[in-house]
Amino acid sequence: MNTLIQPAPVAVRTEPRDSWASVFALARFESRRLLLSIPVLVAFAVHLAWIVWHTLDSYDGFPALQDADRDTQSPPMLVGLAVLLTVNLAVLRSRRRDTDRHFDVLVVTTWRRSAAHVLSVVPAALLTAVCVGVQFGWEALKPGAVGHGSPGELLVGPLTVLLFGTLGVLLARLLKSAFVGPLLVVFFLFFVVLGVAPGDTESGTRWLNPVVGESSSETLPSDLLGRPAAWHALYLLGLGLTAAVLAVLAGGGRRVRTLYAALGGAMALTLVGAIAQSGGEPASLTAAREKATVDPEQTCVQRGRSTYCAYPEWEPRVGTWAQVVDEVSDLAGGTAHGQRLLVRQRVEARYGLSGDGALQPSGTAHEVTVGTRWGGPRVPEFSSAVAAVLVAGNEQAGSELCDGRIVTVMWLALGWQDQPMDALRKVRLDDSVSGSAIVLQPTDPLSMSAAQTDVVRTLLTRPRGEATARVKEHWSELTAPGLTTARAAELLGVKGITEKDGCQE
Amino acid sequence: MTSTVSASGLSLHYGGTRALDDVSLRLTPGVTGLLGPNGAGKTTLLRVLATAVPAQRGRFTVLGHDPGSTRGRQEVRRRLGYLPQTPGFHPDFTAFEFVDYVAILKEINNRAARHREVRRVLDEVDLGDVRGKRVKKLSGGMRQRVALAAALVGDPGFMVLDEPTVGLDPEQRMRFRELIARAGEGRTVLLSTHQTEDVAMLCHRVLVMAGGRIHFDGTPAELTARAAGRVWSSAERAPDAKAGWRTGAGTFRNVGDPPPGAELLDPTLEDGYLLTLDGHGLAVTA
Repeated sequence: MNTLIQPAPVAVRTEPRDSWASVFALARFESRRLLLSIPVLVAFAVHLAWIVWHTLDSYDGFPALQDADRDTQSPPMLVGLAVLLTVNLAVLRSRRRDTDRHFDVLVVTTWRRSAAHVLSVVPAALLTAVCVGVQFGWEALKPGAVGHGSPGELLVGPLTVLLFGTLGVLLARLLKSAFVGPLLVVFFLFFVVLGVAPGDTESGTRWLNPVVGESSSETLPSDLLGRPAAWHALYLLGLGLTAAVLAVLAGGGRRVRTLYAALGGAMALTLVGAIAQSGGEPASLTAAREKATVDPEQTCVQRGRSTYCAYPEWEPRVGTWAQVVDEVSDLAGGTAHGQRLLVRQRVEARYGLSGDGALQPSGTAHEVTVGTRWGGPRVPEFSSAVAAVLVAGNEQAGSELCDGRIVTVMWLALGWQDQPMDALRKVRLDDSVSGSAIVLQPTDPLSMSAAQTDVVRTLLTRPRGEATARVKEHWSELTAPGLTTARAAELLGVKGITEKDGCQE
Repeated sequence: MTSTVSASGLSLHYGGTRALDDVSLRLTPGVTGLLGPNGAGKTTLLRVLATAVPAQRGRFTVLGHDPGSTRGRQEVRRRLGYLPQTPGFHPDFTAFEFVDYVAILKEINNRAARHREVRRVLDEVDLGDVRGKRVKKLSGGMRQRVALAAALVGDPGFMVLDEPTVGLDPEQRMRFRELIARAGEGRTVLLSTHQTEDVAMLCHRVLVMAGGRIHFDGTPAELTARAAGRVWSSAERAPDAKAGWRTGAGTFRNVGDPPPGAELLDPTLEDGYLLTLDGHGLAVTA
């Protein structure tokens, strides 16, 4: 039985509401759940633990900030994967729990819910930015920090989290299975473990990856790096926005015209970033690298008896180098004690960060090379280079030492240090304190025989004053070409060394 | 009384099945019961009125808003409380979080006001003490009350409840009836149910639906009155009865056209419901 239709009632007036306010309210709700989810909490805990461990450990307090910025990029990938996984399941929640039937008749539409999910990953990205800021700020505040970080490099971590998060939303809108997210994470980790990533390391296509590392540990002046960090950040931002808009479109926003405009804008950003970052290195950069390697513009300053020439970013480090030079000179005898040295900072920049950065020893008298890295083993390495020049006259001759003078060089290099045995271990390639080994220097390495190592080790265990006195007393003979290791040992009061000629080993 | 919901000629076909066939109705404040056998089109009608699916023909308004347009549909949804049949839950949410989530989807944006409202509705369904408990830890009856709280949040003018008492034990059902009665004070509630007792106890009006059409629209007393003089008792099953069953006393209660001299019994709402379906050539399913 059908009833008669009465006249329609008067509409009940309600205050107009802002649907975007609901989107933001929902995004806050979802982001709170996201940040408190177990995978994301664990990922952030691991990230923070890594920051503490890495920053306490790295460079012994002498970071180059143009390297420190890149160090912030890889750990956020773990956070990104956790966010991808969690947001993917959050988007699928309504479908998996059959609440779609209910929620579909509520005011906030599906595409706005998708937009809220996209926005919910922003706080995770911001928190990552805070972590990155803490890590980089910590490095930058170290008294020995030099150089300049790049905002583009620092943005990579947070943008990676944003990209992974929006991909998680997009995946959930395209593929309704809860297994897709975990599967993608497993595949990603598999490729990371295998070190397989799309793109040739020498070509621009490697910049299509979210995080682009460098195979070399070389530190270059920041204007010679040639990394298109800002373009890459733009590319990542564009990619993240593209995924975000596609997720909203796939989530029911196909009728919203502004989304198509947003998609066009996001894709344009991606394209501009992708093309610009893959353009290769400009000729001006190649020329600047050539000049910085062959004929660098440096500021030279006088400290004590010696002169120090450094790239502008490293000028604050001159004092630290001078301290080492003074310590080594103080242990030397004869004319070497008051020898004026020219400490010149050099870098092999012509091959960029992909080269090994090996430097040839200088043939100029009393010139010592110092590299761009400092801290840890770099201190005894520089110290041994200074000692070699004081003993042999120049770096070229110093790098060819093989006789008993090696003992003198290594005593000068290590004798002044607070932890000389630790420094001996650090300066040797194999981290040993016995047997023969390669001794690293800023340019070509030295080679220590087992007997030379025994003599040096014995000297380092004796009171410093006693050994110093003997070195100064016999300085002429200890620095004379042809000195055998056995004779050096005898002069320094070390018994039991029978090796006649270190050069024969 | 001014109607809250007016529908005219609503039709919806699924393939060859007429889920709704030219349904017209008007609903006024209070609880209106919607009775009908399985497949009668009750859930389809509720889903159409809840704007979950659009009707292929006909139109309706809720509190003056026509959901035919996007803006009108949003206005209807702003005034709607919907409790679907076997509602889904997010088990890891607490009761508070689930209702809060629904409140956000109802555009209650101010956090403090929304939380006050969530606490209010949870208190209203007697779940204030367990609002911090995860939904998965709640009993079936409690979950159903969470769903009712979600429907109540935002003080909707029109509520659609699809078989809310299914699966509840008698005590929970009584409690739920109390809540529905309270929900019907000052607002329009359309209650779909198989339980004629629900209708008898709660509703000021009842609609009987079958085959996608409404076959009765009146008060429960009027539906009961349809069976006046058509319910009788007999020692054996009456062969001509439309329906008959043995009672606890051992006699048969028959519904239909009684033989002369039959011992007539007082009719119930269920008797009226059975005869209404039968009167339209429909199978009696009681």
